[in-house]
Amino acid sequence: MAIHRNCDGLFRRDFLQLGLRGAMGLGLCDLLRLKAQASGQPGVTAKNINCIMIWLDGGPSHFETFDPKPEAPADIRGVFKTVPTHVPGVHFSEPVSKLAGVFDKFSVVRSICHKDPNHGGGNHYMMTGAPTPVPVGCGAFVTFHPSMGSMVSYDRGVKGGLPAYMAMPGNTRSGGPNFLGGQHAPFIVSGGPNSDAFRVNDVVLPGDLAEGRVNSRRDLRAALDKMKRCQDKIAEDPTVEFDRFYEQGFDLVSSAKAQEAFDIHREDPKVRERYGRNDMGQRFLLARRLVEVGVSWVTVNWGGWDTHGGLEATYKGDMLKTLDQGVSALLTDLSNRGLLDTTLVLLLGEFGRTPKINPGGGRDHWPHAMSVLMAGAGIPGGQIIGATDAKGYYASDNVYRPEDFAASIYTKMGINPHQVLETTAGRPVHLVNDGRLIKELFV
Amino acid sequence: MKLTACHLILFAALAGILTGPSGAQEVAPAAGAADGNTITALVGEPASMRLAAGARAAFLITERRADGFEADATETAVLSLSEPDKAVIEAPGVLRARQAGSLVVIATKGTHRLEIPVEITAPSTEPVSFVRDVLPILGKSGCNAGACHAKADGQNGFRLSVFSFDPQSDYRNITGGARGRRIFPSDPPESLLLLKATQTIAHEGGELFGQDSDAYRTLVQWIGSGMAYSHEKEAALSRVEVLPAARRYRKGAVQKLIVKAHYTDGSARDVTALAQFDSNDKQIATVSGEGRITVDQVSGQAVVVARFMGMVGDSQVMVPADQLLPDAAYQGLPVNNFIDELAYARFRQLGVFPSEPCSDAEFLRRASLDTLGILPTAEEARKFLADPDPQKRAGVIDRLLQHPAYADHWAAKWADLLRPNPDRVGVKGVYILDQWIRDSFRQNKPYDQFVREIVTAQGNTHQDGPAVIYRDRREPAELTTMFSQLFLGVRLDCAKCHHHPNEKWSQEDFYRMAAFFAPLKQKGGGISTPISGGNETFFVVAGGSLKHPVTGEVMPPQPPDGPPAAAAGEADPRQELAGWMLDPANPFFARAIANRVWSHFFSKGIVDPVDDFRLSNPPANPALLDALAGELVRAKYDLKPLMRVILTSHLYQLSSQPNETNAADTRNFSRFYRRRMGAEMMADAIGDVTGVPTPYPGLPTGSRAVQAWTYKVDSRTMDAFGRPNSSSDCPCERNIKPTIGQALHLMNSQVLHGKLTSSEAQARVQRLAAGNGAPAEIVTELYLACYSRLPTDEEIQLATASFADHPVIRRRAIEDLLWALMNSAEFVFNH
Repeated sequence: MAIHRNCDGLFRRDFLQLGLRGAMGLGLCDLLRLKAQASGQPGVTAKNINCIMIWLDGGPSHFETFDPKPEAPADIRGVFKTVPTHVPGVHFSEPVSKLAGVFDKFSVVRSICHKDPNHGGGNHYMMTGAPTPVPVGCGAFVTFHPSMGSMVSYDRGVKGGLPAYMAMPGNTRSGGPNFLGGQHAPFIVSGGPNSDAFRVNDVVLPGDLAEGRVNSRRDLRAALDKMKRCQDKIAEDPTVEFDRFYEQGFDLVSSAKAQEAFDIHREDPKVRERYGRNDMGQRFLLARRLVEVGVSWVTVNWGGWDTHGGLEATYKGDMLKTLDQGVSALLTDLSNRGLLDTTLVLLLGEFGRTPKINPGGGRDHWPHAMSVLMAGAGIPGGQIIGATDAKGYYASDNVYRPEDFAASIYTKMGINPHQVLETTAGRPVHLVNDGRLIKELFV
Repeated sequence: MKLTACHLILFAALAGILTGPSGAQEVAPAAGAADGNTITALVGEPASMRLAAGARAAFLITERRADGFEADATETAVLSLSEPDKAVIEAPGVLRARQAGSLVVIATKGTHRLEIPVEITAPSTEPVSFVRDVLPILGKSGCNAGACHAKADGQNGFRLSVFSFDPQSDYRNITGGARGRRIFPSDPPESLLLLKATQTIAHEGGELFGQDSDAYRTLVQWIGSGMAYSHEKEAALSRVEVLPAARRYRKGAVQKLIVKAHYTDGSARDVTALAQFDSNDKQIATVSGEGRITVDQVSGQAVVVARFMGMVGDSQVMVPADQLLPDAAYQGLPVNNFIDELAYARFRQLGVFPSEPCSDAEFLRRASLDTLGILPTAEEARKFLADPDPQKRAGVIDRLLQHPAYADHWAAKWADLLRPNPDRVGVKGVYILDQWIRDSFRQNKPYDQFVREIVTAQGNTHQDGPAVIYRDRREPAELTTMFSQLFLGVRLDCAKCHHHPNEKWSQEDFYRMAAFFAPLKQKGGGISTPISGGNETFFVVAGGSLKHPVTGEVMPPQPPDGPPAAAAGEADPRQELAGWMLDPANPFFARAIANRVWSHFFSKGIVDPVDDFRLSNPPANPALLDALAGELVRAKYDLKPLMRVILTSHLYQLSSQPNETNAADTRNFSRFYRRRMGAEMMADAIGDVTGVPTPYPGLPTGSRAVQAWTYKVDSRTMDAFGRPNSSSDCPCERNIKPTIGQALHLMNSQVLHGKLTSSEAQARVQRLAAGNGAPAEIVTELYLACYSRLPTDEEIQLATASFADHPVIRRRAIEDLLWALMNSAEFVFNH
């Protein structure tokens, strides 16, 4: 049965059709069943699925990417032609024609929507699955609820010295941990990986230290750090945990596998070319290397998508070429390496853009419709989920809210979206408030 | 408790103390010794009982023992009734009345015998009341919990208010909701409400009670008797009492609790079966849903609370160590001031003995980090260690409290709590507020004046620091939450939407407090602008009012537990709020700030978390907290005299090494609790120790990390070490846990590496490498700079081993040594 919703929630008729049970999210049994089939591949469990989230801050246009409206009037459809995909009847817009060629690797949800037209609030809603409790201005960086990356870090913890949550080149507006605590803030990988001088900060040895010197430093430290620890757990001696992190840190520095992953310069130059020799393309590549070595959540934060003017130039320009080339290379590369089964890939911003092109040749904020690319972790390729109306104003079929998006991601990663967390003030809070699964991702 | 190697070593040290000059050789007899277990008397609670036929009530039998302990004998005593036809003992300690009359409950154990007189009245003819009888059942069964029917949209179409904050709407939803299907008056057992609760038909929440339960009978009776909302003259609940109110327990003990509800008409009834129970420290004691305490194997103190219809009662749990130490053991301990006396009194009760005194070096480093946020210089440390004056610690305390760095360190602490999101209020506002806070601490403004200026602030957000807080917290409700938590230590936030789950605070209390801020108005640029933006002016217009969100009633301003405000007229009612807050008799204000200052020096509050005072989270040492608050009032809220008392106390000068008796003590400060350096402290310490300060973009040249006025000042070190991010809506205390990011940052960051390898003349490594100091001298300086102490001979030997005359090797040896010292626990922690 199709569920009709708008962004105000369910229509009353739906309640009657569904009965009281179905509307409020899936029961435990459904979740267990879905967890079991998070990915079709044997040996893949939800707990070893990692995620790469490419965040287009500002809000990309759904018209010029995955939801073109060639039949709409000229002031809505814009200047770009559409390009076909391998799926009959599914067309994308010209600026993402390379992605159209690898549509077999991903789904597009055309019907996620919400009601917050401000960057601050929209960022928060899509990044955490929770709306802001008070209106938030457009330039704002706010957090009222843990981001998905922080929650994954909270759920999985540090393994082998690797922070579970990393962000490049800086954190997103609402990508913080909120009440989960600072240890679940993203580990920031700054700098431009296209540069020959690039190295991942803090996880690789600084300067030109030779391995022998590192070992002698480590021995010296071990010999000198003699402050007595009380190992008995009941004493709550924080130096015990400190020691544990140092052990893990040393393991990470001496792990050839991890060190190789951090060193993007060791990548085959041909592969680097395919992603595009620019910082953003190389970040996608580095993200692949990081999830490959076991980082659970990597966010690539990319600003500049707030195209109130100059839409045509932007979507014809380098930014789109970088995106189209880099993301299609990432999907192809993950697929070729057999990593797509265990890697969830997300491409989105905080909202879509207005249907009518404004007098400045741009599109403005529009949360009532947006397109989200989702791939990997058992998500079918070549699938369009939901739809917008004929002119791209409103999500119209199989409408989903950000809560549903977050619940689906958490479920894919083996985290119960309906669990109750406790804030620092001791208040119980649902991780996701009544989110239901985007069922098309779980077929 | 399992003995570990570290305990055993320390036990030897402690034994030395106990057999030392104090002359205390003996320890009290071990638990379980035959003599201690002898019963001296049985005691019954309540002393007498009165209940209606058909009702049930709980009682307790307690045995007094020769060792001074009391233990629950309700289950072990033999219980009988003088008139077995009039009543029955349903379970140990539970009496069910059958018919009117008098009888006695007889309890015997060994040679001891006890009687509790019982008066049974005729069966109650009062109709069942929704408010008095039904709501408690819904509460106990969890129906109105936030995860069930009190979710925003209810559950499966059935919606209740969280913790019954809106009983009228609950009544409507039960009696009229689902087109009347929930209630079936002509055949009550067929009501959906009961079919679901007993899981006769499918219920996601499971079976909440059976058909043979009191809850079931009450609901059937209520539905069958016409579903009264309340009685005409229904007495209100006045107080909840828990028995026993306080008790000392042996490890592993169990104790049944009974809960009595007292009403405004003087009546009382047993509500043990309807109360919800919780323990504040589950390591010490847990409590079952029926109110049975189980004491674990850890000594300490806890409180178990019983909640019933918005009121809370408590039972104090104290679990001393297996062996109490003789008083003589404590007599040799130094008493520097009242803090020590009051702390030792607690130690005696718990059987805890304080750790050894800390060394001079530890004291200097600790006091300097806590008071100023900076490490002592190598020179300061060298001088202090060499100073033979026995009063030298007092001299250091005086010097620290006069040091100019004091202001920035304490201002940064307050900025954590007050600093708004620059994206919300504009960067200029954030800066103006920051400067006002710094200036307040530079002047050593009395704390009551500091708070008064905030609570009664008016003015322009580009000129008047405290007004910026109002630009951020724009609604009376937000100000209420913030100010009550910060300045009173009371978390009223819950009561904004529903009755506080663990406390007595109601929505009325919340909105009466909020009403003080209703007359505040603003004009100017709003907050829609993204960056910096406009400014606003806040001013008071007499006559604003605030309505209760559920009842719509206009709320008169009244502080929580305080007197109603006089009619404000033209005046700013906030003046009256400030007057109430700052009154020396205020029960919250002085204790809240005393606790906050204490926690800064001791890592934890006497009440912890520091801003969560409530019956169910009592102070670890109430007498100590009261005395500290008294000290503040005496000093007219100058914070420095309180800090001096704290710094001077022997308690503050204890080692962080636990001994055999106090490893489990994490509440009473019998050892110094280690804590890692905070973000600004660490960033500045790295600059100071390496001699290469970090330049901060956007701050004047030479600024230190502690002077950064917004989290947007770029610093990887501060981010790694957990500086608070004011874009996060959460007036959080800082996270002081070690993280992997911190370890990786100190080990590998280019920041530290650059400072170690710097060739600038003032860089410490450069200066030492280029100078002609002997290796041992270099090692000594680095130890003094990092740890404020001299290295031991063994350390000098280890640390100088890799030195050589070759300049490259010499330089590397210094770099490596400083790296190793800074990556050690002794550097990262305040200990």
